[in-house]
Amino acid sequence: MSSTSQKHKDFVAEPMGEKPVMALAGIGDVLGKRLEEKGFDKAYVVLGQFLVLKKDEELFRDWLKDTCGANSKQQGDCYGCLKEWCDAFL
Amino acid sequence: MSLLSNKSAKEISDLLDEYGIKHGPVVDSTRNLYEKKLKEAMAKGKRPTSSPDKTFYREEEEEVTYVYTTPSRSDFAGERTTYMRSRPDWTEREQERSYSDYSRSKSEYSGKDMVDEPRMYDTPSTYRNSYVKSPPVKSDQKVPKTSSRLIPLWVQFVFFLAVAIFLYIIFSNMETNESLKGIV
Repeated sequence: MSSTSQKHKDFVAEPMGEKPVMALAGIGDVLGKRLEEKGFDKAYVVLGQFLVLKKDEELFRDWLKDTCGANSKQQGDCYGCLKEWCDAFL
Repeated sequence: MSLLSNKSAKEISDLLDEYGIKHGPVVDSTRNLYEKKLKEAMAKGKRPTSSPDKTFYREEEEEVTYVYTTPSRSDFAGERTTYMRSRPDWTEREQERSYSDYSRSKSEYSGKDMVDEPRMYDTPSTYRNSYVKSPPVKSDQKVPKTSSRLIPLWVQFVFFLAVAIFLYIIFSNMETNESLKGIV
């Protein structure tokens, strides 16, 4: 990814703590709502899923698409965001 | 035909490995995803790690694995009318073929069609599926059920006879002498 959004930068700048799932890059209101309905109400829960999928890009993208209907860009943004966060803090 | 959802997490994990799908643990939140992936892989007709030799049959759905002990494998002449039945749905299973002795299978052939014992599979190699599954003994898993064949048994039998007769005709025409003893 050549440039990252402000949201991405904000997210990876610090430990996520209790940030809501909407704080993830690529996840807006609509997708956030869908994720919350499925039980992924906090960013760290999605992080958990990301880790359980072994941080694999394809798996995570597929999962995100199946779970909340994210399109390719949103999948990529979210994946990149979480990956970078993990690189920094995990 | 058992559903993916009835399988244990370990079985799903094994299936994913067989299809070469990279995966993490099969837990509640990931199970759906992996089942989907397996379905896609099966639908594409991807072969799990079995033989490439399937000219006639395709796997519809990857399923349970079978246990077959393998005694020594003997070579057979192609033209043999004794047709030993293996498992019924050898068309769709990845498994290991066992070659036991004829005599046992001869007598048992007519009777037991769909039995879950290791059976010998004696056909010309041209159209049999040779599955190469390396571990000789997995766990004693499920039993082959009587599911549908892609090509019915009698058709295979007739085809085999046709091939045998065809070869015999060729042989007989190759030999200029009248006596054909010692050929077959």
